[in-house]
Amino acid sequence: MHYTFNIERGNFTDAGQASSSVKRTLKQLGVDPANIKRTVVALFEAEINAVAHAYGGTIDVEIDGEKIVMVVADEGPGIPNLDLAMQEGWSTASAKVREMGYGAGMGLPNIKKNTDDLKIDTQVGVGTTVTMTVYLT
Amino acid sequence: MASGEPYFRHSLKVNDYLCKGCTTCMRACPTGAIRIRNGKAVVSDNKCVDCGECMQVCPHKAIYIKQDDFGRLFNYRYRVCLVPTTFIGQFEEKYNTKAIYSCLKRLGFTHIYEVEHEMSRMVQLYNMYMDDHPELTTFISPYCPAVTRLIQVRFPSLVDNVIHVRAPLELASRVITKRLMDEGASRPSIGVFYVTPCAAKIAAVKYPVSGKETYVSGVINMDFLYNKVLLMLHDSDKNAQPINHALTSRDVLWSLSGGEAPHFRGAHYAVDGLKNVLDFLEKLEDDAVDAPGLVEMRMCDQGCVGGVLSINNRFVARKRLEYRARLFERLERSKLRDTSGDDKTLTQEMIDVMTIPEIKPRSIFKLNDNFAEAFKMAERMKKIEKALPGVNCSACGAPSCAALAEDIVRGDAGIDTCIFINRHSQASEDAIRSIWGDRVKTKEINKNNQENN
Repeated sequence: MHYTFNIERGNFTDAGQASSSVKRTLKQLGVDPANIKRTVVALFEAEINAVAHAYGGTIDVEIDGEKIVMVVADEGPGIPNLDLAMQEGWSTASAKVREMGYGAGMGLPNIKKNTDDLKIDTQVGVGTTVTMTVYLT
Repeated sequence: MASGEPYFRHSLKVNDYLCKGCTTCMRACPTGAIRIRNGKAVVSDNKCVDCGECMQVCPHKAIYIKQDDFGRLFNYRYRVCLVPTTFIGQFEEKYNTKAIYSCLKRLGFTHIYEVEHEMSRMVQLYNMYMDDHPELTTFISPYCPAVTRLIQVRFPSLVDNVIHVRAPLELASRVITKRLMDEGASRPSIGVFYVTPCAAKIAAVKYPVSGKETYVSGVINMDFLYNKVLLMLHDSDKNAQPINHALTSRDVLWSLSGGEAPHFRGAHYAVDGLKNVLDFLEKLEDDAVDAPGLVEMRMCDQGCVGGVLSINNRFVARKRLEYRARLFERLERSKLRDTSGDDKTLTQEMIDVMTIPEIKPRSIFKLNDNFAEAFKMAERMKKIEKALPGVNCSACGAPSCAALAEDIVRGDAGIDTCIFINRHSQASEDAIRSIWGDRVKTKEINKNNQENN
């Protein structure tokens, strides 16, 4: 099953549509609540990252019999130092984003914690593609 | 329990004579439990949580709450009226509680017991569960039975966050029964009748989540009793006392939204009203709100004063209760009201009566127990949803196009119930298209869709 969503820059209030739609399907499938939560938290974090840093992008979700693969691809500044970005508390979020309660530097570490597999392709000045996998069984 | 049998039954009933099948209730239901069949609303036992929203919105007064026959009262020698303060909040401040209670006695009750009297013990029970579960950060008050049921069916991952304790009326009925038995009454001669502001509390007594025995013998609808008492109030003798010792000013406010807060230390959230409850639970489930502490939830706006059987405006009733609480507070301060009288210790036996070993999740979303089968169904459902117009007109007898898609994959409905798809003449197609434009899919898409079935 495939889902596609668009990401709009700076639109924090509408973020979360992708994760609630995916949540609904996972509930229909009777997936273990703990796995649903991991999926939803990771997807929401990735979406928020793109909303906060990028100029726009897409979310593609593919669910099959054993796993859920979520690809969040954005056009944006890219991540200059991935090792730093993976550290808890490291953030390059703007003051404005922080004022809104985001940008605490927990995004990528939180995604890593909640997924079984995480791949980040990033190119400075071009964009970032985050591929997350959660095994359902 | 045999498989296929409903988990529990409900106190909310549809009067087929009055029901016009207008779809208003169906669209308001938070669990999608209602469908229109043969022109009438039909409620699914497994999905309904007894929140009373359908009754609240019905324009034809076709939904009602079945109550126990009042005459049953006289099958008992000791007839206890278990009154929540919400009932007192229905009356103007000029009537004191003694006057209201004398009317209840004239109606046939031998004893009056105020449910909120058990609140100090409830606080101890809540704290016990919270202390026993240090792994949880957010706790949900078990006070509103409709919220507990809603969590079971829509937010199964949160069942453990609900404090596993039964409703205060269960404790109150047990305390009063024990007390009368200590005074020499036999158990079968004691009838305890609870005055309910809503449907959920009736269901909680009759078909409890805990599966445990109840000491409540019957339930009386609040609006019914209010009418009877109001007629007698002008010539009441104003001297009847409840059997329990005086309530504290804080106890009086417990049933209101925010009423539990003053009894607990730590962070606290008061969430009331169906929409707010759904929104909060959704976010809690996603970890999208950071809410360590006690979340008190009331399905009805403002709390129990907003219950479907509550007679007066919820804000007026709230104000009246707050007035009484302030009055009690003044009397307490000037030592004219003594609230220390009764024994408030919690015995092991009470703990056994009140705790619930397990609140079982029973998701209404799951399409099939078999994952592969559920997967196939979900895929098909997505395709069907795409083929449906998305107008949510409810003409098919389901609350939304998504709900119809689900009914179809579950085998409960056919796709030809959709009036957008099932168009037989150019005239009907033109007519629908003149209203909805491009949303009316071409016949070809419909054909593809039928092949997918």
